[in-house]
Amino acid sequence: MLNFIFFAGLVLYFVSMFLQFAGMVFRRTAWTKIAWFMFLAGFALETVYLLARGIAAHRLPLSNQFEFASAFSWAIGALLIFCYYRLHVEWIQSVGIAATFLILSYAALQPMEITELMPALRSSWFGFHIGSAAISYAAFMLAGGIGVRYIIVQKKNSADSSLEQMDYFIYRLIALGILMLTITILSGAIWAEEAWSSFWTWDPKEVWALITWIIYAVYLHLRLNRKRRGAFLAWYAILSVPVVLFTFIGVNTIMPGLHSYGMIEAVSHFM
Amino acid sequence: MKKAVQFFQSMTFGLILLGLIVLCSVIGSVIVQNGEPMTYVRYYPDFYQIIFALQLDHIFTSWYFILLAGLLCLNLVFCSVIRIRRISRQKPAVYEAAFSAVPEGNADGAQLEKIREKLEAMHCRKEERNGISVYSKNDFGWYGSFLTHLGLLLTIVLFGIAMYLPKVSDQICYPGNSLILDDGTQIKVDSFRIEDETGRLDYTSRINIILPDGRESGLKEVSVNHPVSMGRYKIYQQTYGTVGKVRAERNGAADELYLESKDFLSADGKNGIWFDELYPGFITDEAGRSTLIESTSGHYENPVYVFTLMLDGSADMMMAFPGDVIEVNDLTFTFLDPVEYPGLRIKRTPAMVNPLLLGAVLIMTLGLYLSMYTQPVIVAVSDSGYAVRGPKPEGIQYEINQVLNADQKEKGV
Repeated sequence: MLNFIFFAGLVLYFVSMFLQFAGMVFRRTAWTKIAWFMFLAGFALETVYLLARGIAAHRLPLSNQFEFASAFSWAIGALLIFCYYRLHVEWIQSVGIAATFLILSYAALQPMEITELMPALRSSWFGFHIGSAAISYAAFMLAGGIGVRYIIVQKKNSADSSLEQMDYFIYRLIALGILMLTITILSGAIWAEEAWSSFWTWDPKEVWALITWIIYAVYLHLRLNRKRRGAFLAWYAILSVPVVLFTFIGVNTIMPGLHSYGMIEAVSHFM
Repeated sequence: MKKAVQFFQSMTFGLILLGLIVLCSVIGSVIVQNGEPMTYVRYYPDFYQIIFALQLDHIFTSWYFILLAGLLCLNLVFCSVIRIRRISRQKPAVYEAAFSAVPEGNADGAQLEKIREKLEAMHCRKEERNGISVYSKNDFGWYGSFLTHLGLLLTIVLFGIAMYLPKVSDQICYPGNSLILDDGTQIKVDSFRIEDETGRLDYTSRINIILPDGRESGLKEVSVNHPVSMGRYKIYQQTYGTVGKVRAERNGAADELYLESKDFLSADGKNGIWFDELYPGFITDEAGRSTLIESTSGHYENPVYVFTLMLDGSADMMMAFPGDVIEVNDLTFTFLDPVEYPGLRIKRTPAMVNPLLLGAVLIMTLGLYLSMYTQPVIVAVSDSGYAVRGPKPEGIQYEINQVLNADQKEKGV
């Protein structure tokens, strides 16, 4: 039943993305509205899925690649809904739905079994550290998505009034992302001192989180310099997304270390 | 000289340093760090000399990485000092200038009224002079960027101290035994368990720390994620192992001994048992042949002691299970169940480093929060229009635009 809810949500996201794209191409507002409601339905299902999984596992569903990717996708969806209703930006759905679907598709490719939390992860920092990382990645992903839209809109009409708004939104999302990533890194350091006796071990995950942090800190500084705005920073936000994805997926896949909790070797290394 | 100093304190220099730190970090994540020299010779046969020459095998402790971190700290010091001076100069000036601001935003009387309502709803302070109302809030937001840079500077410095100053040692201790540290501190291991009462993996030691002045921690549980602190010491549950145990009896006196590698247990130095190895179990094939399991993944399902019996000049290799009794002249050995023991990490940290570091972390997070979410608001509204001022006017300008857009929608524009 749980898996059915998950895949039903994924299918709704896919159909929503398809309809949204078709609505944009054929200029059918009704289609994009239907797409949005389908997305909301998919989001509701994913919320139910994560809650049910958390209840079944007796913990927050954030312990492995599947659960983190699901939470990551959920966080993109939550940010998207917040921006749509609270900040009244309807255009954001065109990039947000696709990003939500793509990350959830990645989750669907991962092993989905519910496993017991290993001792190394049984800490009060668990939800704080990993939850803030999911929100941070989601904000960066959405910022990159808006960057793509910025470039497309600018190519069509460089005087489009929404460009300035998009530039501002990229900035605000990156600001949110870097705040959450700072919390991730600092809470992780405090947790690491409790678990491994050292605040920082230069583990690949730590190093790439730092690289991601620096890359976005540079973005904020470049934006302070008012000469660097618009397309340059939109491209910057787009090109930074692969770094985020590498920190999330690449490091866990090709650079085993203390954070590779999905791997047996890491367990024996730790204990 | 002045230009050089200006460059050292510039944002450009800071960004160059960050770029170089990113470059080093990428290299450090690709090349194995702190490995044995032969590792590099084996994995990088064409580059190992370059790796050693450029200290790429320990890039994060190389002289140039430390130099980069030091220069970044210097840049942050300059940034922080310049920033606080600039803020103290600009803050009152920007506010005062708002009273003579030329209106920039186009809005009619009704729209200006809505902007006023919006600013009042946002709980902005209002001051009026010569027909111009200046709405302001979030004064603390001016200091966000300063606190972020100051917090980052303190965090880097204190992280460095917290990482390299503590003395760390890893030691094993069998249950019932004690570790005596250099300063006389005693750590007594009462017991160790791998699983809790529900069968869940748990890895917990019960220890008592006795400081040189006699103060005791009492029995405390140390487990993964839950170290125990006492004085300047912090004790971590780091690893575990399994050791054999035997009871030796002679003339009514008995003693229980842990069997470490290659122990010889004898009363006369000639006759006794040479302990060789403890195996976690064995498997028996269809033909009835048994093979000892060498894996030490943790569980000792059917432990087997392998030893050499030395008796009257002869040496016979033998095996025994827990409960087996071996008699060697007047000595009686009873093999007992193996015992699991903890490996503890003992860390001695200079006092106050961790609390200071926590303070720095909080300053940095607070600074970031103030920078991003409590940006100063200064809006001058008069009958002829409005003007947005302050270091980061985009946020409030966005809110005002929302008001104007809603008004235009109402009017059907």
